[in-house]
Amino acid sequence: MRPDRRLALAGITSLLGMAGTGLMPQPAMAQRRGGTLVLVVQPEPPTLGSYISTALPVGQVATKIYDGLLEYDFDLKPLPSLAESWTVSDGGRTVTFRLRSGVKFHDGQPFTSADVQFTVMEVLKKVHPRGINTFSEVTAIETPDPQTAIFRLTRPAPYMMMALSGYESPILPKHVFGQGDIRSHQNANSPVGTGPFRFVQWRRGEFVRLDRNPDYWKPGLPYLDRIVVRFIGDTGTRAAALEKGEAHVAGFGAVPYNDVRRLERLPNIRIETRGYEMLSPVVELMFNTRKPPFDNVRVRQAISFSIDRQFVIDNMWFGFGKPTNGPISSNFAPSGFYSADVMNYNVPDGVDRANRLLDEAGFPRRADGTRFEIVHDITPYGEEWRRFGEYTQQALARIGIKASLRYEDVATWLRRVYTDYDYDVSSNSLFNLADPVLGVHRAFHSRFIRPGTVFVNGVRWSDPRADELMDQATIEPDPRKRAELYTEIQKIVVAAAPLAWTHEINYATVLDRRYRDVIVSPLGLFGSFDRAWRE
Amino acid sequence: MTRPFWIRLVANPRAAFGLVWLGLVVLAALAAPLIAQADPFAITGSPFARPFGESGLGTDSLGRSVWSGLVFGARTTLLIAVIATLSAVAFGGLVGALAGFYGGRIDDLLMRLTEFFQTIPSFIFAILLVAMLSPSATSVVVAIATVSWPPIARVVRGEVLTLRSREFVQAAITLGERDAAILLRQILPNALSPLIVTGSLLVATAILTESALSFLGLGAPNLMSWGFMVGAGRSFLRDAWWLVAIPGVAILLTVLSINLVGEALNDALNPRLRTP
Repeated sequence: MRPDRRLALAGITSLLGMAGTGLMPQPAMAQRRGGTLVLVVQPEPPTLGSYISTALPVGQVATKIYDGLLEYDFDLKPLPSLAESWTVSDGGRTVTFRLRSGVKFHDGQPFTSADVQFTVMEVLKKVHPRGINTFSEVTAIETPDPQTAIFRLTRPAPYMMMALSGYESPILPKHVFGQGDIRSHQNANSPVGTGPFRFVQWRRGEFVRLDRNPDYWKPGLPYLDRIVVRFIGDTGTRAAALEKGEAHVAGFGAVPYNDVRRLERLPNIRIETRGYEMLSPVVELMFNTRKPPFDNVRVRQAISFSIDRQFVIDNMWFGFGKPTNGPISSNFAPSGFYSADVMNYNVPDGVDRANRLLDEAGFPRRADGTRFEIVHDITPYGEEWRRFGEYTQQALARIGIKASLRYEDVATWLRRVYTDYDYDVSSNSLFNLADPVLGVHRAFHSRFIRPGTVFVNGVRWSDPRADELMDQATIEPDPRKRAELYTEIQKIVVAAAPLAWTHEINYATVLDRRYRDVIVSPLGLFGSFDRAWRE
Repeated sequence: MTRPFWIRLVANPRAAFGLVWLGLVVLAALAAPLIAQADPFAITGSPFARPFGESGLGTDSLGRSVWSGLVFGARTTLLIAVIATLSAVAFGGLVGALAGFYGGRIDDLLMRLTEFFQTIPSFIFAILLVAMLSPSATSVVVAIATVSWPPIARVVRGEVLTLRSREFVQAAITLGERDAAILLRQILPNALSPLIVTGSLLVATAILTESALSFLGLGAPNLMSWGFMVGAGRSFLRDAWWLVAIPGVAILLTVLSINLVGEALNDALNPRLRTP
């Protein structure tokens, strides 16, 4: 660890209070150079252009090649990366990044502020699916010298500081991507970045080969000689490759949860559930809140009460989850954004309370024991979701709601839920991402009732008070005040139950025990693997 | 003097086996609500209970009874297969009869249409149809019927073509009987035996198609079926073999039985194979 980095960090004044705390990872004793790590990614990414696709497989490959301005620690505090330091001034409307000098792209060209300006203004703000929102307040980036980039914002955007990782906002070389159409750029699949590994080869259907970047700006890193990203279509073969030590790392459900439980018992395998803190998927039941009877808050609450969250986690997600009531993941507990002080639906007498609520709501049981009939749309994501749908049907039956199941392909289901709003109840899981503004507001802020846009407010719930609080939290620079706002927001939406949040998914990464320091940050498999090493 | 048809059929030991198994399956399907709890999707026990323990044939990953799934699955599987086959026989029979009886341009047109359907790989076509119509019992029936009528049409056309030139049909035409009456009263009864044999074998294919669709998650989502059970259990093959083995064996035996009975029907109905 170089002392100057820590000094630079300590000297930073930040209005956001987000400056690093000196929590740079300490090198362990016995790291060794050399070795090849085989990462299993499922499915094969359609592109390596992580500036245009946020798909999970894309990010897992591209983050080894591209760096971001910042990194983050497990408490989601920003750390320096390509940006050595930063200051926030003018009430949050100016953010000045001091860029690291002597950094070179893989083609030998130096990294400068022009690359930052180009990447954010010309690429991320225009074509990145989330960058359009993240950088919406950024009007200009000034580059007084090659080592300084000044972001000018119309309003404060504290969440922007959470979205500057190599996964969320990869920094591209202007001299490569500046020419030609960025949407179909020839270098998308032969990427050039500043990261610890260089792109060498992509043999479609088989692997991507990344070799050690000897000129990497972190001295002595990376430790590994090579990363091979393998694509193995068959679930069983993937598990077998890890079991035999032919592949070393796999996450994001590349190995089904029940197989993870089996692999966990093997001596050469280790399971890691950290490293997904900047995604934080939360599972939700969606109610079509403008369609009777789901316009009735008691009906929505009753359904939330009827779900036995622990049963769902144990039997559908094989223990890889955590019961919850609200939209914000407990991964945000360190920043104070997560609040447990909300209505609790996860109670032992949930079924009784649900039945009482439905009686009060004016839906008494009829002679056949049912109250009303609905259609439940199963989320077409795979086995555990199908089981979750079947379980929901059973849970609803216990409170007198007769649900029939509908199962459609992803495109049809997305259109039904987010465009036509032609559904009663469905389920989904949305990523919280690195900040509630980026991942949470979209699910129930009325600004996000956007027919045709997926993974937004498909429940069409709208509450002026909640909207107002979210708007305040968006631009509030003081983290403590933001936390207070989020506490209130959670109280309101959990009680109103436009969605029933059931559990946080804890993705599991399967690791070969010989490989160390693979998951070292909340970015997990989206980290650069620069400090990963083989025993 | 030849023995009656049904005696010839039962005398064949393979057919007898098939008939006994099919009888059991039909019985289970009919009596399903009496011999298993009413909802096969109901969570009734602890997950992954082993078979032949306290819970009959064991339970699946959610604690749903495999026995209940098996008998209700028999219901779904048989019902869908039989209805799909009957639809295919009705439609294919009509097309074949019209083509064979009228010949000429109508024959050309209908046979080209039949060939068009025959050139599409049938299972892929079925998947496509179900995906387009959104999975439900009706769409599965429609998909199976749509991919299985062409062979029926060809068989019926062939039969009608030969029967049409026989004296008794010519006589009926000369007597001025209407076309529909000739087809139904004179030709159809005589074309029945190949139709029954092809149709019975088609039921077996329909069961396999239904199971394969359900295995892929494209079956009727509210109906328990054997293919669905195999599909849902396949990820637990190494931990819970019974989730795949039990419904898998049920599919195997049922399809085998239908084939055995179909063959025996062919032997019994084929006049050339009749022993005096």
